[in-house]
Amino acid sequence: MELNDANLQTLTEYLQKTLSPDPAVRRPAEKFLESVEGNQNYPILLLTVLEKSQEDVIRVCSAVTFKNYIKRNWRIVEDEPNKISDPDRTAIKANIVNLMLTSPEQIQKQLSDAISIIGREDFPQKWPDLLTEMVNRFQSGDFHIINGILRTAHSLFKRYRHEFKSNELWSEIKLVLDTFAQPLTELFKATIDLCQTHATDINALKVLFSSLTLISKLFYSLNFQDLPEFFEDNMETWMTNFHNLLTLDNKLLQTDDEEEAGLLELLKSQICDNAALYAQKYDEEFQPYLPRFVTAIWNLLVTTGQEVKYDLLVSNAIQFLASVCERPHYKHLFEDQNVLTSICEKVIVPNMEFRSADEEAFEDNSEEYIIRDLEGSDIDTRRRAACDLVRGLCKFFEGPVTGIFSGYVSSMLAEYAKNPGVNWKHKDAAIYLVTSLASKAQTQKHGITQANELVNLSEFFVNHILVDLKSPNVNEFPVLKADAIKYVMTFRSQLPKEQLLEAVPLLVSHLQAESIVQHTYAAHALERLFTMRGANNSTLITPTEMAPFTEQLLNHLFKALAIPGSSENEYIMKAIMRSFSLLQDAIVPYIPTLIGQLTHKLLLVSKNPSKPHFNHYLFESLCLSIRVTCKANPDTVSSFEEALFPVFTEILQNDVQEFVPYVFQVMSLLLEIHSNSIPSSYMALFPHLLQPILWERTGNIPPLVRLLQAYLEKGAATIASTAADKIPGLLGVFQKLIASKANDHQGFYLLNSIVEHMPPDSITQYRKQIFILLFQRLQSSKTTKFVKSFLVFINLYSVKYGAIALQEIFDSIQPKMFGMVVEKIVIPEVQKVSGPVEKKICAVGITKILTECPAMMDTEYTKLWAPLLQALIGLFELPEDDSIPDDEHFIDIEDTPGYQTAFSQLAFAGKKEHDPIGDAVNNPKILLAQSLHKLSTACPGRVPSMLSTSLPAEALQYLQGYLQAATVQLV
Amino acid sequence: MPTENLTDKRMSKFKNKGKEPTKMRDRRIAECVELRKAHRVESILKRRNISSFGDEEPLSPEFNTDNEQVISATIQEIVASVNTDSPEMQRQGCQAARKLLSRERNPPLKEIVEAGLLTRFVEFLGRNDDPMLQFEAAWSLTNVASGTSWHTQQVVEHGAVPAFIALLASPMLNISEQAVWALGNIAGDGPSYRDALIDCGIIPALLARLTPDAPVGYLRNLTWTLSNLCRNKNPFPRFSAVQQMLPSIIQLLHHGDKSVLSDACWAISYLTDGPNERIDVVIKTGILPRLVEMLGFEELSVVTPALRSIGNIVSGSDLQTQAAIDAGVLSALPQLMRHPKSSVQKEAAWAVSNIAAGPCQQIQQLITCGLLAPLVDLLRNGDFKTQREAVWAVTNYTSGGTVDQVVHLVKCGALEAILNLLQVKDTKTVLVILDAISNIFLAAEKLGEVDKLCLLVEEVGGLDRIEFLQNHENNTVYRAAQALIEKYFSEVGVAESHLLASFRNPFVFPQRSP
Repeated sequence: MELNDANLQTLTEYLQKTLSPDPAVRRPAEKFLESVEGNQNYPILLLTVLEKSQEDVIRVCSAVTFKNYIKRNWRIVEDEPNKISDPDRTAIKANIVNLMLTSPEQIQKQLSDAISIIGREDFPQKWPDLLTEMVNRFQSGDFHIINGILRTAHSLFKRYRHEFKSNELWSEIKLVLDTFAQPLTELFKATIDLCQTHATDINALKVLFSSLTLISKLFYSLNFQDLPEFFEDNMETWMTNFHNLLTLDNKLLQTDDEEEAGLLELLKSQICDNAALYAQKYDEEFQPYLPRFVTAIWNLLVTTGQEVKYDLLVSNAIQFLASVCERPHYKHLFEDQNVLTSICEKVIVPNMEFRSADEEAFEDNSEEYIIRDLEGSDIDTRRRAACDLVRGLCKFFEGPVTGIFSGYVSSMLAEYAKNPGVNWKHKDAAIYLVTSLASKAQTQKHGITQANELVNLSEFFVNHILVDLKSPNVNEFPVLKADAIKYVMTFRSQLPKEQLLEAVPLLVSHLQAESIVQHTYAAHALERLFTMRGANNSTLITPTEMAPFTEQLLNHLFKALAIPGSSENEYIMKAIMRSFSLLQDAIVPYIPTLIGQLTHKLLLVSKNPSKPHFNHYLFESLCLSIRVTCKANPDTVSSFEEALFPVFTEILQNDVQEFVPYVFQVMSLLLEIHSNSIPSSYMALFPHLLQPILWERTGNIPPLVRLLQAYLEKGAATIASTAADKIPGLLGVFQKLIASKANDHQGFYLLNSIVEHMPPDSITQYRKQIFILLFQRLQSSKTTKFVKSFLVFINLYSVKYGAIALQEIFDSIQPKMFGMVVEKIVIPEVQKVSGPVEKKICAVGITKILTECPAMMDTEYTKLWAPLLQALIGLFELPEDDSIPDDEHFIDIEDTPGYQTAFSQLAFAGKKEHDPIGDAVNNPKILLAQSLHKLSTACPGRVPSMLSTSLPAEALQYLQGYLQAATVQLV
Repeated sequence: MPTENLTDKRMSKFKNKGKEPTKMRDRRIAECVELRKAHRVESILKRRNISSFGDEEPLSPEFNTDNEQVISATIQEIVASVNTDSPEMQRQGCQAARKLLSRERNPPLKEIVEAGLLTRFVEFLGRNDDPMLQFEAAWSLTNVASGTSWHTQQVVEHGAVPAFIALLASPMLNISEQAVWALGNIAGDGPSYRDALIDCGIIPALLARLTPDAPVGYLRNLTWTLSNLCRNKNPFPRFSAVQQMLPSIIQLLHHGDKSVLSDACWAISYLTDGPNERIDVVIKTGILPRLVEMLGFEELSVVTPALRSIGNIVSGSDLQTQAAIDAGVLSALPQLMRHPKSSVQKEAAWAVSNIAAGPCQQIQQLITCGLLAPLVDLLRNGDFKTQREAVWAVTNYTSGGTVDQVVHLVKCGALEAILNLLQVKDTKTVLVILDAISNIFLAAEKLGEVDKLCLLVEEVGGLDRIEFLQNHENNTVYRAAQALIEKYFSEVGVAESHLLASFRNPFVFPQRSP
């Protein structure tokens, strides 16, 4: 591609077309550009258009296209062709900095990105003059250009903040420091001087302050890895100026915007970060400056307002103090009672206050408020920072700080008492303060687990929390009510049980509050209390203790779901589930009513499932209703089926994807309750379950397999007699599943159930085909997971149909195949089998092969006998071999896109452990000993001779142990 | 038969459960590129002699000025004097040069070289008839050689080395001493001049002067020069040279003068800062108990090189580490970990980190000798560099320790301490901590106490910090954090792994859910 007018014209036209909203125009143009981008001069043409075009859109478009081109092509990948010619590379690097600096901001940004992409590859070795070129521009005096340079430098250097130390990295930094540090320092000083010269010129100041912010960011990057000699030598200059900037205030730079941080805030925030970096890493050198910074930052905090725009600055500043105050050698800076008091009073307390922004969120955006307040996504908030500072101060000054705050808490509570209607926020702050002061350790599961002993939590509960919980008007001061409820929840592990029991009925009444936050907290608090454990691993609060409130609890929980805004409130639904689980038998009388409400809810949400957690707990609650009720009386299962099947049918017919896996699980649960016969209603559904379309969705597979297993367990005979024509379909499912690396284990679950439950005759004609399919899969892609399942299956087969049958079916596929399987798969891989039941199946199966299969004794298979026995002893005695070949590690993840079934698994639909061998064999080692004994009596002398010639001594020793335990001897 | 071998291998694996020799021990502070100022604690490479004789008059103003013209005039005079044939003038010129070169500030090294004076000075070294002249010339050359590599090179290239080595044997002690000093400066320049000196036979000449009656001042210089002959890597000084020097260095390590001790000890620290064969040579001298004894000295100048030597030795093989342990290093370390100087704390923590990289028997000795409490203190309150070493100690300990040992460390408070350090602004340290956490979880898995550990981590705010690291810019860190969260803190993760592992129970759910 030559650099001529015609080509420039063509390129311009295509760029124009890429902006078209019509895909028919846009796509071909994009395709065309991509097809020519390999040509020499293409990037130069782009840059020429960018520079020369009269139209701004075309210039921007060309800049973006250029950047994307660089992003795709600049990196030279080993063993791949170089996608940009060397002359083009040289030309780009020679011109781009200048071009960037002379372009308007929109284009500058694109080119600056392109420079950092190129820089990442080429800098410093292949772009040695970049830095000098940049540094020279510092002298231009044009801050538009200077900021462009600074921004580019920032994007080049910011990786120093997170990369690992290496010689290569440090050489680069050293080079940067040698060229850049001195000019940057000069620029820093000059910019500060200019700020004074232009102290009254707002436009100039804005540009200068953005330069200062960028310079401060560069300082952070260049000082991150280690303290460079240059900056150590020039610490005085930098720190004095940073300190001055921290204390500086300029009316002109103050913004009216309450939300967005202004230039001054951004700069000071970065300076706090810089000071924190030095305080943390370069302690020794920074020590002389630190006290000054502590004072400055503290003054900054005292004078900064409550507006949201200061949040980042304030939280950074508080975090700085928090990190300094817990270092032993700075302890003295905080030791003085006046200092502590002042920090508590002027820094901590104000930042814990409930602000109007919080109030708005409480009322209008309760969902977000709850997430922030309850789930701890408050990492950058002022309250969080203030709590961290309290915790930091408590490291050395727990007594004094607690004392100071106790005074505050009392005075704030006194203020509140004077006029609750006006001063309720004081009480909110007091509760918050007590909470942050008392919390030393906390988990979601237990709340506060370790508390400050100087705070009397019980007393506070009695004097200040209980009042709000008991308040007859649940809708008055909802924030304080929510605080009180949260207090109970937070300190549940610290409060004595009597107080918790006292709180329970009160919490139940708060379920009726109009405020969403308030009744949500009440539900959540109850749910958490119900999960607490008491003695003997039982629940702390017992169903008996709950008896007086059971009706009201259930009643209020279900009513709360009717309060506007809470119709799909996951906390309430979870509380329902937890109440069912706690109360067990006590809910049985209410279930006939409640099941109606639950099914109704299910019908409603199935129209448009939008709250996955809510829906999950809804299904869990259904499962619990079924389990608890049917445990008392299995016959009631039909009434559940009556109530649920209509809704289920609708869900299945409308194919509500989110709910289908749940429905299968609930159906499995119901079917499993039936005793050894399968109702016709289920049989009617059977053919539908085999429809391939259902099996296309990965989320359906585990619950469907489980449902089919339930069918086989309860109705194998019925299937064989009345639906034999469906057996090929069933095996089709198996075939589909084992073809997939992700789902093959599910296929084996199904196959094992078939082998275990189906009448043998009904599947005789299919057996050989099953084995052939398994072999094909073994040949095409053998994975550890597949082999493990395969081993379990063939041994189950040996247990079920006998070892001879197993040997014969293998050898019928191909002569000598049985030997190959034993030698190449069973012996080397059986150690990988995991799970006690699986291991037991393998042990019993192998024992049968060893002792009930004549071919093992009298053919060429005989040479495998001792190694197989040795492998079996290994299975008994050695730790499981959990090694997985390297190339297999990622298979499961890659092969299961969107595998989300784990989420939809219902805990309360859980299946009981199933052991197909059961009590028939209790101790497989004894079985082995007895079977060997039997074998040895059938052919005296042979077994001991095989053992003594081929079995290693160690294995033999174990075997002797089994024989002794079984009190048998080999002959 | 192949299957038999396979099983045998497993049998052996059973007895030696998954225990593989950890290869963490070789971790050293061996980065070549430095951003920082040179370490202040190290002994100095080159020294200028700026002492003046007590009986000498204070330097006249001309020697204390920075005025270039005055200096240039003075140098012209020196050149003139030195180039005369009058011994008196030569002495005067030489002395004037020496005084210029001995000024506290800005000695005109380069100017003296450029004035072409070195040829004459080297010549004067051979003037056995005029000891005064020899002495002044030797002093001047010493000071020129104390400059940059370029300055040292000028001295060497003017043929000073053989002359100085010859002067070592001078009957005049002050001249011999000056030669020792000059040679020390040359040796300190780097491995190539060091080896050149050795080739010229410096070692026997130096050792010949090491006599019981040698004055302390002389011995100090001699020891320092010896230490520079042991110094520098790439390449190391050759074995034969080391073998020659070692007995004398060992002897000096028992001297009463602290300065001699310090430099002798620095020599040992250089000799041990290398591959295990180098460390072996030092251990075989039986000096370990003495080194351990020196760890307990008051003087930082002795403690620092002794600790460095010990640190080097315990970074060697398990056997070498054990030799240091047997010499009692573990009883000396706790007080150094509590030393008021943070640089000492750091070096002590480094030594501990290397001992912790050893087999579990050595880890057990860390426990028995009470090193865990001070280690946890350092994690909590040490300065950043010390914390970083202490973190390595924890990671090494948790990767090689037995389950019981790991539990013990957690009980000592190390887990909480390292979780707090997850906020440090150093990517590598963060990753090393994540490794330690992962090791601790592996131990908890073996005990079936993962849930308990999860709660512990969450209680002390560790879960928040690990979750926060999932946003880290560094991919390795973010992945390590994510792996921990997915494996231990996400219910989905637990359910899924359970699902894959289990045949009987396709829908068994973790106890913690829902």
